[in-house]
Amino acid sequence: MKTSVYNYMKRAGKMQRRDVLKGLGAAGTMAAFSGVATGTSVRPAWAASHGSLRADILKIPGVGMGSPTDSDWQKVGEMCLGPIKEVVSEGEFAGVELTFMGLNNQNLHNFLFRGFLKPWEAYTGATINWIDLAQADYNARLQQSIATGTVDFDIIEMGAPFEGDVLGRGMASVMPGWVKDVIDMNDYVGYLQAPVGTWDGKTYRISIDGDCHTFAYRTDYFGEGSVTGRDVPTTWQEINEISLELKGKTDPLTGLDAHGYLDPLKGWGGFGFYFLENRAAAYAKHPSDPAWLFDPDTMKPRVNNPAWVQAIQDVLDLIEADVYPADQINADPGTTAFQQFLAGTGSMLMWWGDVGSNARTSDTSVVGDVVGFGINPASDRVYNAATGEWEDTVNEAPNMAYIGWGVYVMATVDSDSKRQKAAWSAAAHLGGKDLSLWASAYPSGFQPYRNSHFNYDEWEEAGYDRAFIEDYLGSNADSYNHPNAAIEPRIPGIFQYYSVAEDELAKGFAGQYGSAQETADAIAAAWENITDQIGRDQQVALYRASLGL
Amino acid sequence: MSQGDLLHVVTGDDIGERRRFIGKTLIWGSFAIVVAAFAWCAMARTGYLPWDLANWRPALYAYLLWATCLCIAQVVLHGEQGKRTLFVLPATLFVVAMVIFPLIFALTLAFSNWNLSAFEGPRFNGFDNVRQMWTDPFYWNALKNMVYYTLAILVEYSIAFGLALIQASQIRARKFFRVAFLMPLMLSPVAVSWMVGKSMLEIRFGPISRLARWLGWDRPSFFGDPEIARLTIMIMDAWTFIPFMMIMLLAGLQAIPREVQEAARVDGASGWRSFWEVTFPLMLPVSLTAILIRIIFKLKLADIIINVTSGGPGGATDSVTSFIFREYRDRSNVGYGTLLAIVYLVLIVVAITVFMKAVDRWMNPRY
Repeated sequence: MKTSVYNYMKRAGKMQRRDVLKGLGAAGTMAAFSGVATGTSVRPAWAASHGSLRADILKIPGVGMGSPTDSDWQKVGEMCLGPIKEVVSEGEFAGVELTFMGLNNQNLHNFLFRGFLKPWEAYTGATINWIDLAQADYNARLQQSIATGTVDFDIIEMGAPFEGDVLGRGMASVMPGWVKDVIDMNDYVGYLQAPVGTWDGKTYRISIDGDCHTFAYRTDYFGEGSVTGRDVPTTWQEINEISLELKGKTDPLTGLDAHGYLDPLKGWGGFGFYFLENRAAAYAKHPSDPAWLFDPDTMKPRVNNPAWVQAIQDVLDLIEADVYPADQINADPGTTAFQQFLAGTGSMLMWWGDVGSNARTSDTSVVGDVVGFGINPASDRVYNAATGEWEDTVNEAPNMAYIGWGVYVMATVDSDSKRQKAAWSAAAHLGGKDLSLWASAYPSGFQPYRNSHFNYDEWEEAGYDRAFIEDYLGSNADSYNHPNAAIEPRIPGIFQYYSVAEDELAKGFAGQYGSAQETADAIAAAWENITDQIGRDQQVALYRASLGL
Repeated sequence: MSQGDLLHVVTGDDIGERRRFIGKTLIWGSFAIVVAAFAWCAMARTGYLPWDLANWRPALYAYLLWATCLCIAQVVLHGEQGKRTLFVLPATLFVVAMVIFPLIFALTLAFSNWNLSAFEGPRFNGFDNVRQMWTDPFYWNALKNMVYYTLAILVEYSIAFGLALIQASQIRARKFFRVAFLMPLMLSPVAVSWMVGKSMLEIRFGPISRLARWLGWDRPSFFGDPEIARLTIMIMDAWTFIPFMMIMLLAGLQAIPREVQEAARVDGASGWRSFWEVTFPLMLPVSLTAILIRIIFKLKLADIIINVTSGGPGGATDSVTSFIFREYRDRSNVGYGTLLAIVYLVLIVVAITVFMKAVDRWMNPRY
């Protein structure tokens, strides 16, 4: 769970007092019998029933009992070690030394992994060295390691967009069959199933996170008697209509100017392109075709086809009509979410799950009680790249932006079967089904990503408010399992494409190109250059592999 | 050995033919090893040899061997005089290694196609990067912006001079004002970006926006219009660095002998004439130094732009450094990014040299 959500629940009383006390009682009983809380090495609850284990770990430290600490992470790691113990004998990896490279964002990620893996180290006899990286340093460190052939880590926490760079070069270890059983991969939500995490049919990734963009809107802008007088929009066409109609009206909450959808018009290190993708996905992601950014046979960009041009034109229309807040041309996604939407400017936004939670968590948010969620709006027509024709049918395509973090084992361990098994068992422990439930429910930096994470009864039993959890997670669950989810290509250098597109879009939005088509053509030309520079044949092969073709 | 050296050399060396031969063999033999090692590494790395060489370490070891042999050969060839050379030679060789090798490496990269995501690694591509630069509107736009940014230094200089004059005069709370005016210089440009660019200039709640609305600007927008955005960046940068020029000019003003200005007053010069005919000319060397250093700072302008506008709107605020940053960090385009940086370096060196020559001509006219 994102820290912000957890903090909100603590502050807003969304954790039910009665349940907290119930949880405390249960935790106390469990501690008395198992010895976990006393720090002794009595084997924990794996021997007990599985459902009981899931309920028990959710009581560590207990919702509403403060943020978990290292000792809590170790307890959870110990309690969830059961599946590993079934395939690894005690002391089996004595003398093995592994290096793990991951993030240190908000003192989470690697900090949790250390705690989770401490019992694993004690049980197996292996030791792990840690490379902690700030998010801003991650990309450069990884790219340089890859390019200079200096891979000095055995296990890595990595986002799926980098799979092209790493898996495409054969730098990662193929997941052994026994790992799939340990982590129960069938439980993953739809979009995290193959081909994500796979390359040329082989599986490499243990997912530990999920990511997608969801639609956030102001409930006080919609419904009878509201400032729009309309229902919540379900298509991008409606969104643009409402945004235009709101010009000159007053925001019901702040009394300032009312605004509609908030497009970020400034780049954000490549991440800003995801936000044009939200619009474009509905137009360009045809249900019959997994590709939507490039032609999978030639890598010819589709970014200048009529669907993408329509998405750009939608934004240009709103710029032309002057319906955005002032200085929108200088607003990146961070601005639209945290300085505009949460502060009461604008009524509609697409973002990751953070916005939904921050709406009720952040001290500067004024929209906590008037926020609703949905999946990426649809389009009332979709472009079919195969026929080159528009089809007048409603098309939904949630944007799985960034896909989420996973744990990968590097091929450096493959030459030594003992090291290989050790590395994969450590990774499997972190991606275990039960441990991931705990990580979803407590501050960890990770979002739910398994179907079993959306069993709201477990959350309610642990002490969470059911209505809030359903509201918060529902839009994510619907997006994850959507049959027409738009999944970004996991090809090498994907953020280079996004970055250069941002530069060209900035020129287009500033009026330096004559039309949306001209802007899109400039992006396509820049993308062609990148493809040629990286190697077209390579990119075609890897793109097809990433799409599972 | 020259006659003068006899004063410092306690023993005269009798260097025989055999020693000379050994010394020269040491130098040229080890140099041959260096050449062979570099050639071997280069050929192995480019695939002309079957060995899969992971790095250039053999060449480094060969260089260290050659450096050691060169030092030993100095003593063998020149005796006591050679020992004196050893006080300087190792340091020189170290500096050469730290400058020459990276420069060669950078030049190699600048003429290579190296995208970190390309599986092939760096590939020599001749003048392709130069041709790309020649037709790259983003680079030329950034260079044009740098001209604007650099010209703004004249305004900054005028303000800094004015502030320095005020600080140099007998005003109340002079020490307080000196510290207060220096405060912006103590701030990191990143902090300025967030405190001023993203907070104080925030459209709805920023105090400067509120002030602008109070003054009658209905929809204040500091980064929406290209000209205003560029001006806002200039002002933020100036706010940070005017104190730097001011403190240099203040030091210069305090170094002017009071007698000179008193003599001008005795001769009946007004305040303005005293400044224009006496103070300003005397301050020229300090002024030019301050402007020169400020130009160098200005040419590195990037952090405020990266944080506040990312070069927008539509490239109106982009600087060369912020553009290279995007090419390098966001697009992993190492070869092209290196070429842009080297071309920019050459442009800066040429421009600064021309500037200094012109100043020298102006300050020391040859009649």
